[in-house]
Amino acid sequence: MLARILKSPPVWISLIVVAVASTLPLYVSGYVLGLLTIAYYFGVFSMAWDLLFGFANEVNFGPTFLIGLGAYTAGILDSLYQPPIILCIAAGVAASVTGGVVLALPALRVRGPYFGLTTLVAVLMLQNFVVVAAELTGGEIGLTVPDVISINDRTNYWIALGFMTVSGAILYGLSRSPVGLILQASGQDAVQAAALGFNVTKHKLAAFIVSAFFSGLAGALMVFYLGAASVGTFIDVTVGVQVIVGAVLGGRRTILGAAIGAVFLIAMGEALRPLGDLSTFIVSAIALFVVLVFPGGLLGMLKGAREAT
Amino acid sequence: MLFWQILIDGFAISALYALGATGFTLIFGVTGVLNLSHGAIMVAAAVAAWAAAGNWGLGPYLGAMFGVGVGVLLSLATYFLIVQRLQRSRAIREEEKEIFILTATLLWGIMIQEAIAYLFTNNAKTVLPIVEGVVTIAGVRTPANEIFTACVCWLAIGALWLFVNRTRAGKAVLAASMNPKGVTLLGIELSAVYVAVWAVYGALAGIAGVLLGMFLGVSSYSAGPLTASAFSIVVLGGLGSVSGSLIAAYIVGYLETLTAYLISPAYRAIPALLLLVAVMYVRPRGLLGRR
Amino acid sequence: MQMSCAARPLIGAVCVGISLAAAPLARAEDPGPIRIGVIAEAQAVAGSSIPSAAQLAADEINAQGGVDGRKIEIVSYDNHSSSAESVRAFQRAVSEDHVNAVIGSYVSEVVLALEPWAGRLKTVFITPGAASDLITANIAKDYEHNKYTFHGYLTSSSIARLVCDAAKDMLVDGLKMKTAVVMSEDAAWTTPLDASYAECLPKIGLNVLDHIRFSPDTTDFTPIFNKIEGEKPDVIITGISHVGVQPTVQWKSQQVPIPMFGVASQATNSTFWKDTNGATEGVAYQGVSGPGVAVTPKTLPFVDAFQKKFGNIPSYCGYTAYDDVYIIADAIHRAGSTDSDKLVAAMEKTDYVGTIGRVQFLPEGDPHVHGLKTGEGLITGLFLQWQNGKQVNMWPSSLASGKLQFPSFVKTGTAAN
Repeated sequence: MLARILKSPPVWISLIVVAVASTLPLYVSGYVLGLLTIAYYFGVFSMAWDLLFGFANEVNFGPTFLIGLGAYTAGILDSLYQPPIILCIAAGVAASVTGGVVLALPALRVRGPYFGLTTLVAVLMLQNFVVVAAELTGGEIGLTVPDVISINDRTNYWIALGFMTVSGAILYGLSRSPVGLILQASGQDAVQAAALGFNVTKHKLAAFIVSAFFSGLAGALMVFYLGAASVGTFIDVTVGVQVIVGAVLGGRRTILGAAIGAVFLIAMGEALRPLGDLSTFIVSAIALFVVLVFPGGLLGMLKGAREAT
Repeated sequence: MLFWQILIDGFAISALYALGATGFTLIFGVTGVLNLSHGAIMVAAAVAAWAAAGNWGLGPYLGAMFGVGVGVLLSLATYFLIVQRLQRSRAIREEEKEIFILTATLLWGIMIQEAIAYLFTNNAKTVLPIVEGVVTIAGVRTPANEIFTACVCWLAIGALWLFVNRTRAGKAVLAASMNPKGVTLLGIELSAVYVAVWAVYGALAGIAGVLLGMFLGVSSYSAGPLTASAFSIVVLGGLGSVSGSLIAAYIVGYLETLTAYLISPAYRAIPALLLLVAVMYVRPRGLLGRR
Repeated sequence: MQMSCAARPLIGAVCVGISLAAAPLARAEDPGPIRIGVIAEAQAVAGSSIPSAAQLAADEINAQGGVDGRKIEIVSYDNHSSSAESVRAFQRAVSEDHVNAVIGSYVSEVVLALEPWAGRLKTVFITPGAASDLITANIAKDYEHNKYTFHGYLTSSSIARLVCDAAKDMLVDGLKMKTAVVMSEDAAWTTPLDASYAECLPKIGLNVLDHIRFSPDTTDFTPIFNKIEGEKPDVIITGISHVGVQPTVQWKSQQVPIPMFGVASQATNSTFWKDTNGATEGVAYQGVSGPGVAVTPKTLPFVDAFQKKFGNIPSYCGYTAYDDVYIIADAIHRAGSTDSDKLVAAMEKTDYVGTIGRVQFLPEGDPHVHGLKTGEGLITGLFLQWQNGKQVNMWPSSLASGKLQFPSFVKTGTAAN
């Protein structure tokens, strides 16, 4: 099976892309590296989201609930007690996984739009909490974290790239594994899957936990890259929108597409920066266009083009 | 004194919430769409009314009507450009259409919001009020505008009720929400029903937006919170139930007002949010939900 | 002149030699334009003036020949009111666009996020509009690292003191007021403002009955005004910037019988009358500029030039951004270089008459190092009030052109007016 995975086109194309990407620091400016670093973390956010949506078919409207929990727990711990960064990150991941379980329990009992609503409410609650408990969290102004992993942009870039590659590999492997197939089955037809003897709820819960793990980990790592956390960077619904749009744009249920979509969105937002005020408008418009005209996303567009030839 | 103040203020703000939530629930109940550009449409209507009344000098009445018209236009645009296209798309599986519509309306809402900020800056705007001055009720000095807001909201809701229950077109809408296929069997054009519903929704959202603009003021930043607020109220009341939304709107409106007056304005949104969480855990259908 | 055949090649060689030697000198004389990065909230009413005013200043300086022959180029970035985007813009400005200095933002949170980066990237950075005292406090705490930052506007604490000075003249002495409630938004710049209010208001004779701090997201001010009214103060002393239109409109629509006096940044915008549909009538606010007020001989010519070029009146941070370009240019001229450390030393010696007053920075050792010096002969600010669609200056009396008047629903007790 491993051999089959390695031979599939998306995989070795991705490996080539990653190899090329790792050479970028040699000839690209620090500013672009910084941009791509953030983009790679968003890539992980989107991939984790795609696992839940694309496979378990659960629309998580509040990926930022999990991301925010991871980021803020790690950040607050560091600003209060300054333990080693690894410990803070571990705490962040633990918090987001716990949050994922707490969220999953009521969420999995309901279907369709209610699930999305539950996740959205979770984000609103976290946001309100952060703003109200301002002494602890820095409130609307944000939290400055005393430690960063590194101030060297190359180091940060490689860490982000490496993290995204490993996460992508794990998530992709999971999606193509027997577990992933069961998830897909449960997502598309829960009744049949249950009839076949699979514990649908347990598998979806597992998907939640995996998604939470990677979201929280990426969030915590990003805090120690930026040296700061704020509602606007980690929790706000607009951030969640970016994660979701990135995944849908790239092509749902492909995992790899999610990473592409996320990086594409961020790169585009930056490229359009000279337009100033209109850049968000244009990015949203393009994303909307892709969603309406090419629902298979960017990866779907490429696949379609290949099939047509 | 405080009691009357809370009673009156709570009533007005709840009426405003009710109007917004009613439109949101109407669209979901009849077409199954959760329109995440709801807040943006409301803000667009308010800003259009502000521009027409103040900037272009049309005065408050024409300005308000212009605003509502913009609400209807945007709502129809949302339907034709986005919702209808996705609903008829053959490239997307049925189960997935919902997420696509959600994502698309979300993006559309962001586009509207950014366009407003670009054209008019993100500074808050207040719409020229149709009614000015204050009245004194039970010893409480209340802006006449507040009473006006509450009255218009209830008139609109009443008109909706009349439409749905007493007119043929309205009954077709009600039927479509319960059984779309049955409606077509009766020879009624389903797409005509949908267009009518989206137009009515646009009017409701437009009126709510313009009233909000007159009462409290709006800015492009208000779009997101307005959608979230309508969302939460509708979930609390039960998706698809108009009476549920009305009751929930009043519960939320009064909870917020009580908190703002008795505890602190800073914690205004918290009790309603906690209530929502409790309802999600205990009775996810909401108070009167039927789906 | 007759030249021998042998001399010609020699002269030719000498000419070539001189031109070869001169070439690097010529290149050294043309080191390219001076680049000043401008990071601002271009979509906000106040912020949009910053890049425009900076461009105006640059154009004027270039028309006079530039700085020692070098032209000034403004590179501008819209930060969408976000600290994260501002940090990215700053990094881009320094590493990609190679700016020599940055003028940035009027939002304290953004300036505080950029301050450590000015230190890390060793680039001179001046804010034309933020007010938080933390900006200068951070420089005092770690001068060597943070010395690149300059505070080109009044600190919250000095603003509060100026409000108290004006309140003493107009409210206590003039209208015999005795009590006040402080109403401010919960933000970085109001923490030191409120602390200074708490200190100076009692000293001028105004008893502070309550202090209400509301979330900047507040849209419904009804409960807040009702609460204040219940406490029956003579005046509401304000500290608002992020909000402005909504509380003002609701103040009028509820006919709150208490005047508003203090800091209201949005009221400084010339569009505020239209934005509030006239509800701002009677709102009195602190400012550094006002229409028709010639604070210095440079003030009104700047306003005219700005209006001619852009069609609207500059916001308060437009004045300071304009001055900041001149200040940076002047410092580069005096330092003879754009090297950041030399620039810092030159800027510290600034003595420049700008559009809001005479600009000098507080020296190393002062708790507000690199902040503006205030006082008579330097910068005092103004106090204005909206009357019939116009912003009229009330204070100081030497520059006043009107007297305080409040709308009919406001009760000012025993008015000496």
